[in-house]
Amino acid sequence: MGNISIKLFGKTLRNPVFNASGTLGYGVEIEPLWSVETMGAYVTKGLSIRPHHGNPTPRVWEERHGMINSIGLQNVGVDRFFDTYLPFFRKKRLPIIVNFFGFTEDEYVACAEKIKPDRLIVALEMNLSCPNIKAGGISFGKEPSMVFKIVKKVKGVTKIPLFAKLTPEVKNIVDIAKAACDAGADGLTLINTMPAAAFDAKKKSIPLKGGLSGPVLKPISLRAVHECSKAVSVPIIGVGGIMDAMDAVSFFMAGARAVQIGTATFIDPYAIPKIIKEISDYLDANGIKKIDDIVRTAHGK
Amino acid sequence: MDDIEGKILSNSSIAPGYHLLRIRLSRSMGTVRPGQFIMMKIPDGGVFLRRPFSIYDYQQGILTVMYKIVGKGTEQLSKASKGTSVLTLGPLGRWFTVDRRNIPVVIAGGIGFAGIYSLIKKLQGKASIFFGCSSKEEIPLLRDAVRFDPLIATLDGSYGFKGNVVQLFKNHLKGLKGKNVEIFTCGPVNMVKSIKGLIVPHKIPCQVLLEERMACGMGLCFGCVMKTTDAEEPYKRVCKEGPVFNLWEISL
Ligand SMILES: Cc1cc2nc3c(=O)[nH]c(=O)nc-3n(C[C@H](O)[C@H](O)[C@H](O)COP(=O)(O)OP(=O)(O)OC[C@H]3O[C@@H](n4cnc5c(N)ncnc54)[C@H](O)[C@@H]3O)c2cc1C
Ligand SMILES: Cc1cc2nc3c(=O)[nH]c(=O)nc-3n(C[C@H](O)[C@H](O)[C@H](O)COP(=O)(O)O)c2cc1C
Ligand code: FES
Repeated sequence: MGNISIKLFGKTLRNPVFNASGTLGYGVEIEPLWSVETMGAYVTKGLSIRPHHGNPTPRVWEERHGMINSIGLQNVGVDRFFDTYLPFFRKKRLPIIVNFFGFTEDEYVACAEKIKPDRLIVALEMNLSCPNIKAGGISFGKEPSMVFKIVKKVKGVTKIPLFAKLTPEVKNIVDIAKAACDAGADGLTLINTMPAAAFDAKKKSIPLKGGLSGPVLKPISLRAVHECSKAVSVPIIGVGGIMDAMDAVSFFMAGARAVQIGTATFIDPYAIPKIIKEISDYLDANGIKKIDDIVRTAHGK
Repeated sequence: MDDIEGKILSNSSIAPGYHLLRIRLSRSMGTVRPGQFIMMKIPDGGVFLRRPFSIYDYQQGILTVMYKIVGKGTEQLSKASKGTSVLTLGPLGRWFTVDRRNIPVVIAGGIGFAGIYSLIKKLQGKASIFFGCSSKEEIPLLRDAVRFDPLIATLDGSYGFKGNVVQLFKNHLKGLKGKNVEIFTCGPVNMVKSIKGLIVPHKIPCQVLLEERMACGMGLCFGCVMKTTDAEEPYKRVCKEGPVFNLWEISL
């Protein structure tokens, strides 16, 4: 059988498939259907230094090939997450990636500082799509200079490897990727949702603006992975519209070391275990020994 | 709870714009409780997300859903013929809890009846039932509850009491004074709001089944929340902490 385990920052993960932040609750909710340790790692819901209530409804909207969400980063806060949920992952020995955010530089720093190194924690994942309140609400991830500054600050307070998760709504994502890496990011997660608006044809109004996810996003994230993986050497996690194993494989070939699955789980709650199995089948069928053998193979072309 | 494949046995119109869908499931759903729901889709059926529907009835491997055609998904569903494959994820959510010491009163508005019929059935005639709809055209929705003698209001007065169901219920409120009444309700938000307004002075316990737009239906996305009185974490997931809520704990 093809070996689908991967090594990330010295830790061996069962496979290169994780959930996308915010799309698998706190990790416990999926248990009636499949064990969360089926994945290589669990990526937490976006956590903040203080609990965050999130937005009023409507929070989700269907589009033809995707969806728009405006959850507003509701979460129980980093302290309560670790008190309530860490024991669950510890018992399962499931490595976790801690996604976090802030609305000011200080909030990012405080949150990163709060998370102490732990055998279970593979990495932090810093959500750079958040509005920077002090800069008039423009997202932290929009300008290379802002990205450099905040990543540098966060790196200064943590020893845990850090993924910078980038927004696709930028002039040139490669410049952002380089800025994050120059500031010390140990990896990149590409990409977050794309800012979008929904239209309610019955009410003739815009019921919500939020982040677009699902298959409509895939070509955009694939491009980001391809271009950034050519420009920087850190590990890249590909995310955006991956619906099946072939999508996942295309991300590996484009340069991703691992993938995350989000919206697909809402369509098929078994999407993640199916993709894991089918990646393994793909390796077998093509006589490939390990995942790393297909990573970046589409670079020359 | 699981994602179970089924085949449509029948999908017939019971009133203009309303259908009754019967599905034979390939496996058992396990125990189903009144108020629980499923997330349903027809594979490659042309809509992206699944749709939530209450479990109207479930017995001997046959799941029944009563639905109203309101948009793209339900429109397409209404055209699905016998033998079509469907996927049903469920049973989901928290259910109505019955305290045998209380006298149950059920108030349903329109298609809200679909969400509360399984409770009516469980209560086997013990509940007083109030049902409201726009006109006599919608009376066939009550087909399985007629035996429990529901009191009926139509907005246009074409059947039963003329007015809305809350006005009808108000007329009966006096007779319930001093009794340990508990209300169970499902229907449009405005109906629930006016029930709340009506019973505030009486402090009657009330469980309400709420609807909200959903993506996952199982607590993964936090897309379906309802604001509650919990100061620490006000937004609760309708699919997980609901869809049945204590009326006095939600901010309507
Ligand atoms: C717990 C629960 C139980 C329900 N039970 C029933 C039932 O037994 N019978 C029935 O007819 N309907 C029921 N509904 C409402 C039903 O889910 C919607 O009418 C249906 O999703 C509309 O889909 P559409 O594509 O036809 O409409 P569209 O308006 O085209 O739908 C677009 C999107 O909005 C969502 N949406 C639209 N209206 C609602 C609504 N009222 N509630 C939730 N989401 C909505 C859809 O799911 C979809 O994602 C229930 C809803 C919930 C939350
Ligand atoms: C409901 C929902 C909630 C999300 N919450 C977060 C979050 O808290 N933090 C974050 O970095 N990304 C969040 N995302 C973005 C996803 O992690 C992912 O980047 C995006 O959805 C694209 O992947 P997909 O198309 O597979 O869903 C969320 C996405 C959705 C749909
Ligand atoms: S619909 Fe996803 S949490 Fe309720």
